[in-house]
Amino acid sequence: MLKDITLGQYFPGNSFLHRQDPRMKIIASILYIVAVFLCKNLFSFLFITLFTVALVLLSRIPMKVILKGVKPLLFILIFTTVYNVFFYQGEHLLADLKIVKIYFEGVMFALLMAVRIVCLLVGSSVILTYTTSPIMLTDGLERLLSPLRKIHVPVHEFAMMMTIALRFIPTLIEETDKIMNAQKARGSDLSSGGLIRRAKALIPILIPLFVSAFRRANDLAVAMECRCYRGGNGRTRMTQLRLHAIDWTMLFTVLLCGGAVVIINLYSPGFSV
Amino acid sequence: MKKIELDGVTYRYSPGTPFCKTALDGISVAFEENKITGLIGHTGCGKSTLVQLLNGLLTPTAGTVFLDGEDVNRKGNDMRKLRFRVGLVFQYPEYQLFEETVAEDIAYGPKNMGLDKEEIERRIEMALHFVGLDGSLKKVSPFDLSGGQKRRVAIAGILAMDPEVLILDEPAAGLDPSGREEILGGIRAYQREKKNTVILVSHSMEDMARYADDLVVMREGKLEMQGSCAEVFAQAERLTAVGLDVPQITRLMGALKRRGVPVRTDIFTVEQAKEEILRLTGGPRHA
Repeated sequence: MLKDITLGQYFPGNSFLHRQDPRMKIIASILYIVAVFLCKNLFSFLFITLFTVALVLLSRIPMKVILKGVKPLLFILIFTTVYNVFFYQGEHLLADLKIVKIYFEGVMFALLMAVRIVCLLVGSSVILTYTTSPIMLTDGLERLLSPLRKIHVPVHEFAMMMTIALRFIPTLIEETDKIMNAQKARGSDLSSGGLIRRAKALIPILIPLFVSAFRRANDLAVAMECRCYRGGNGRTRMTQLRLHAIDWTMLFTVLLCGGAVVIINLYSPGFSV
Repeated sequence: MKKIELDGVTYRYSPGTPFCKTALDGISVAFEENKITGLIGHTGCGKSTLVQLLNGLLTPTAGTVFLDGEDVNRKGNDMRKLRFRVGLVFQYPEYQLFEETVAEDIAYGPKNMGLDKEEIERRIEMALHFVGLDGSLKKVSPFDLSGGQKRRVAIAGILAMDPEVLILDEPAAGLDPSGREEILGGIRAYQREKKNTVILVSHSMEDMARYADDLVVMREGKLEMQGSCAEVFAQAERLTAVGLDVPQITRLMGALKRRGVPVRTDIFTVEQAKEEILRLTGGPRHA
């Protein structure tokens, strides 16, 4: 039931990508997204697809998991593809279906858009979300944004909020499950009646859930105060992030990929988006 | 008479995934009518899974659950009606309270049953009486009560449904001794008056010895032992092997026996122990 929802898609492992510094991975994934959007023609798209497949192989994440991640996108994929095939106006007519005309350019465009969306999702999730634990992610984000502290942006506090929110999602899901079962045992009926009746039936679940969320927040705040938590100033960390030569290779590889895309765009012929 | 019964029931969580876990493994056990049956076992042995199967919150992966000889998961069976017949109090039930007043919260179950106003009112009074709460608390918000009082309101919410089978999962966990005694004593009084079936899940052997008639011992999703308190507690070694304990007084009698005192070892309350010792010493001496 509720437990089956996977939140924060982190897939534990020990691949090259898993071991990379989270800061570099955040920058690399941004660069990667830019590279995907720079692709203009068939050859550059082919190149970025190969690059993405190489990333997937490098991450050693099972194909099944990757496909499961693409599944929620299926509807958008089909919708954009159909839309582009039918409504793109080009020069080479393929078929005339009276109401709509299908052009060769339209088919190409639809295909490349679909590849772009899939690459975008698979590539960025392989670089970042699948291979970086939520804690590492917020750590990396905090360090990356730390220059903003100079202009009084509470970077540490934001990162702490993110960490705590991520930490409590599974807990609250479990809690919801328990409360739902308890109210079902008292005969609450969630699956019949009109909209208003169903909304009303949620009250016995939402109120205890909120009460328990506040209680947990309060307990956590007290526990943090007891350990003298005073925000980010002067706080040291157990795991220090240090950049090694190998961490830069990742960044440079993605940079090179972006450069290659630009060059391929310039020097290869054919249909371009 | 058998009231509720599991026949060869297996339950697996997340079947077909790498997280698959067998919580119950082909267990067959029956709970008798008009008795308090204690359900004991080590943490993670499947007790909580078992009780959720009894009121249809979970459906067995294999096997059948019978209530009065009828399969509870048969097609077309009304699950809500089943839950009114088999009342389940979860662990830490105080976290399910939501209404503005104690009376309204207790009335939630009976209201869902579609009872009329006077009947609901009568049941609130009855439930408050058995959990030992004062009628003056009816108009108070449940969130203003102490932890122990909240627990009693939550239990009263199930008692007010007047179920044929009442299941309580660790109803006294985390309470002080007098709180335990009041809640468990109230449940016993309730059972003795209604003559229904009560299943009590607990870790405390002392509580079991005092309040349960029969015991069911589970181990890793299977039935380990079943019988009256005396029968089960007499097998101290077997209980210890499961990672459970016997009441302190039973352990004392066992120790006496090992030192050559010819006492019975199927004794599990202090009163029985007193009788037994008096029997051996030839009755109370009067000065």
